Amino acid sequence: MTATAQRHDVARPATVAETAAVLGDSAGTVLVRGGGTKLDWAGRVPDPDLVLDTTGLTGVLTHNPGDMTASVRAGSTLTALQEHLAASGQWLALDPPDAGATLGGLLAAGDSGPSRLRYGGLRDHVIGVTLVLADGTVARSGGHVIKNVAGYDLAKLMYGSLGSLAVVAEVVLRLHPRPAASLTITGPADAAHATAAVLALAASPLEPAAVGWLSGEPGTLLVRVDGTPGPVRASGTRLVALLAGLGIDAAPLPAADAATAWADQAAGVRGEPGETIVRVAGRPGDLAALAGHAGDAAGRAGVGFRLVSSAGMGLHTVRLHGGTAPAHAQVLAALREHARSRGASVLLRSRSPELDDLVDALGPPPSTAALLRSIKAQFDPAGRLAPGRFQPWF
Amino acid sequence: MASTHTEHRTGAAAMAGELRERLGPDRVLTDRTGLKAYECDGLTGYRVVPALVALPESTEEVAAVVAACAREGIPYVARGAGTGLSGGALPVADGVVVSLARMRRILDVDLPNQRMTVEPGVTNADITRAVAAHDLYFAPDPSSQTVCTIGGNVAENSGGAHCMKYGFTSNHVHAMTLVLPDASVVTVGGDGTEVVGPDLRGAVIGSEGTLAIATSVTVRLLRRPEAVRTLVADFTSPAAAGEAVSGIIAAGIVPAAVEMLDALAIEACEAAVHAGFSLDTAAALVVELDGPADECDEGFAQVERICREAGTTGIRFATDPDERALIWKGRKAAFAAMGRISPDYFVQDGVIPRTRLGEVLARMQEMADEAGLRVANVFHAGDGNLHPLVLYDAAVPGESERGEHLSTAIAELCVEMGGSITGEHGVGTDKACSMPKMFSEDDLAVMRRMRAAFDPAGISNPGKIFPTPRLCGERPGPYRVHPLEAAGLIERM
Repeated sequence: MTATAQRHDVARPATVAETAAVLGDSAGTVLVRGGGTKLDWAGRVPDPDLVLDTTGLTGVLTHNPGDMTASVRAGSTLTALQEHLAASGQWLALDPPDAGATLGGLLAAGDSGPSRLRYGGLRDHVIGVTLVLADGTVARSGGHVIKNVAGYDLAKLMYGSLGSLAVVAEVVLRLHPRPAASLTITGPADAAHATAAVLALAASPLEPAAVGWLSGEPGTLLVRVDGTPGPVRASGTRLVALLAGLGIDAAPLPAADAATAWADQAAGVRGEPGETIVRVAGRPGDLAALAGHAGDAAGRAGVGFRLVSSAGMGLHTVRLHGGTAPAHAQVLAALREHARSRGASVLLRSRSPELDDLVDALGPPPSTAALLRSIKAQFDPAGRLAPGRFQPWF
Repeated sequence: MASTHTEHRTGAAAMAGELRERLGPDRVLTDRTGLKAYECDGLTGYRVVPALVALPESTEEVAAVVAACAREGIPYVARGAGTGLSGGALPVADGVVVSLARMRRILDVDLPNQRMTVEPGVTNADITRAVAAHDLYFAPDPSSQTVCTIGGNVAENSGGAHCMKYGFTSNHVHAMTLVLPDASVVTVGGDGTEVVGPDLRGAVIGSEGTLAIATSVTVRLLRRPEAVRTLVADFTSPAAAGEAVSGIIAAGIVPAAVEMLDALAIEACEAAVHAGFSLDTAAALVVELDGPADECDEGFAQVERICREAGTTGIRFATDPDERALIWKGRKAAFAAMGRISPDYFVQDGVIPRTRLGEVLARMQEMADEAGLRVANVFHAGDGNLHPLVLYDAAVPGESERGEHLSTAIAELCVEMGGSITGEHGVGTDKACSMPKMFSEDDLAVMRRMRAAFDPAGISNPGKIFPTPRLCGERPGPYRVHPLEAAGLIERM
């Protein structure tokens, strides 16, 4: 790592114009780096000529509490933004696991946390975006109002692009009022019970803000409701009764314990060094099937297995630890096969270099591979940005 | 131009036989009478008769029509129910209209996972109707929901009165099958809420039929809220009603809907629907909350208090679902009702930061006075989406031009105020020439790159969204007489 790092030029622009100048005045390959929390997702980007560090591109540009919108330079961390907004009783309704992640990085990675169930993901909160293309062109789409259908939504193309199409320089965000009260209910539940709970909660009128599940013996279910104190307490009581009806003995957590429980969930999604982290997205009702399948595959391969799930949305983080790289490769292959049969998606996140030598980072190409190549050719014809990130798709 | 003209005629004529063989003779229209039915959408001022209308019934048939167009270099325009208000489904002269009206099947319903896969011609309201017995519904609710189709909702990223809380079509679509302009068939989105790679699903939604044709759409269904509470509060001015909206937002309440009607709009709605709005008030505010019963009741009491503090002159509570339905019927009939008070009108769709409402209303009034015309106002007041209705009489010489000029000036005023030329109706043909008011040349050039990635030949709904010298004259800017109209290529009502 250090050997290659020494060969990189590093640019740290502070404005859109400087970012445009950096790209417009250079040639060669570029790795855009924000908080550096997701650089090992999907394909590797070997030896870029330039690292474009966005952490100087910071600051809240506008915040209109009455309109519940804010515009922010994209290298700002979510944590810094939330601190700024808290003074007005507002927040960006997003709670991804990495505190150090930047807004541009979160958009490019398409990352979210458990609250996505109620509030949506970052793609739903970004109402405007300023991009810098690889040739230095600056382009905006959207605007500063929540409702707006003028022109194409370039932010959507950035969502999940992992820095391969353009640099996200500024974002305009839709904000939410910070809930006056929250309550988390927890109880032991195995995968089958958790799946039943997820579907029953969705069919109920209780509108939970987040539903999480951690594998274990038997496993732990977490359900959070947001609102004002009285109604939140009332919903809590109803949640406990609903879960009891499914055979889950759940109870409200004191606020401090609730914060710890969700922090543990976030830590679980981040995983630990040395683990192979695989993200699976499917239908909420497939939780038990996935947990069973992944557990069996891990058992057969002699690999330790944990599942951390934003269960209400069918978003699962599968963590593999111990065992050999070929054993991890075997489990990954089983997960991909299972996902394919169910219509789910699989993203390989962190893993060891040994595993990289054994597996294809992206898996079989989707039906959109030719279209993705065409988009890449339009936005970054010289192939400067994050080469290798989506190899061999584009 | 003349050579292109001839080429398309030849191409379309050649295609007719081929497509009749593929689709059957009754699903390819080339006769003048049949084609006339497709000459415009809800923006009836623009009319172009296409050369051919195809009525495919499957993804494969859509792909076959698109393949023929691609091979011949003939432009095509996808069309749902034709209720759009921006001329997004306006045909291209000598081009093909791909009507999705016959693709009306529900392909799959997954109740536990709350989703449904439908063909593009299924109406917005029919999605909800299919699952209503299970307490599920499809949240986007454009006013035309009983007729407009999900394919059209996808093209326009439709919202509706309840999108302040529930969002737009984009927030409620999991996946789609698309036919791309090269006739290839792809799937975007997926079963989960994350996919690997860029969000092509989101990029296509709202692209007004210029990137792809959706031939199946998997929508997200929501559990019907446990409680719904609706009130109508009267105010002595729209600005005073706006203050009440600010108070509600500042209290941290996210209403399901906040709608405002001014006196002229109320007059029209009452004449048409008799929904019980007060005729002697300057502004009526419709506020609706929904959610778990406890939460809803607490918020509703707060909304009532805020309206009283803001000086409401009277509050009417919807005491049962029928009364609520009547209030909404009145509101949703607003556009159509304008016929009761004016022979003709233009519907505008600008968006402003909500906090600038008072300022914008005052400027709009000045502009209306200057033009010597009346403007009725219906707003989605929560999200700043204005629907000023410019009233005019086409029989009076010059009024139509003055009305159109005023309507465009209002949309561009919204941009000056930091807003948008369109909140939900789309750019289409109508507002393409206003795009440079909102976006720089570079912005538009990069959007064109995106279009070129999907449609390098530019055959999928050309002439929409992007300003062209042909459409807008050499100078971008205030609206001028339409060159196509001057050339006799399009007609105006």
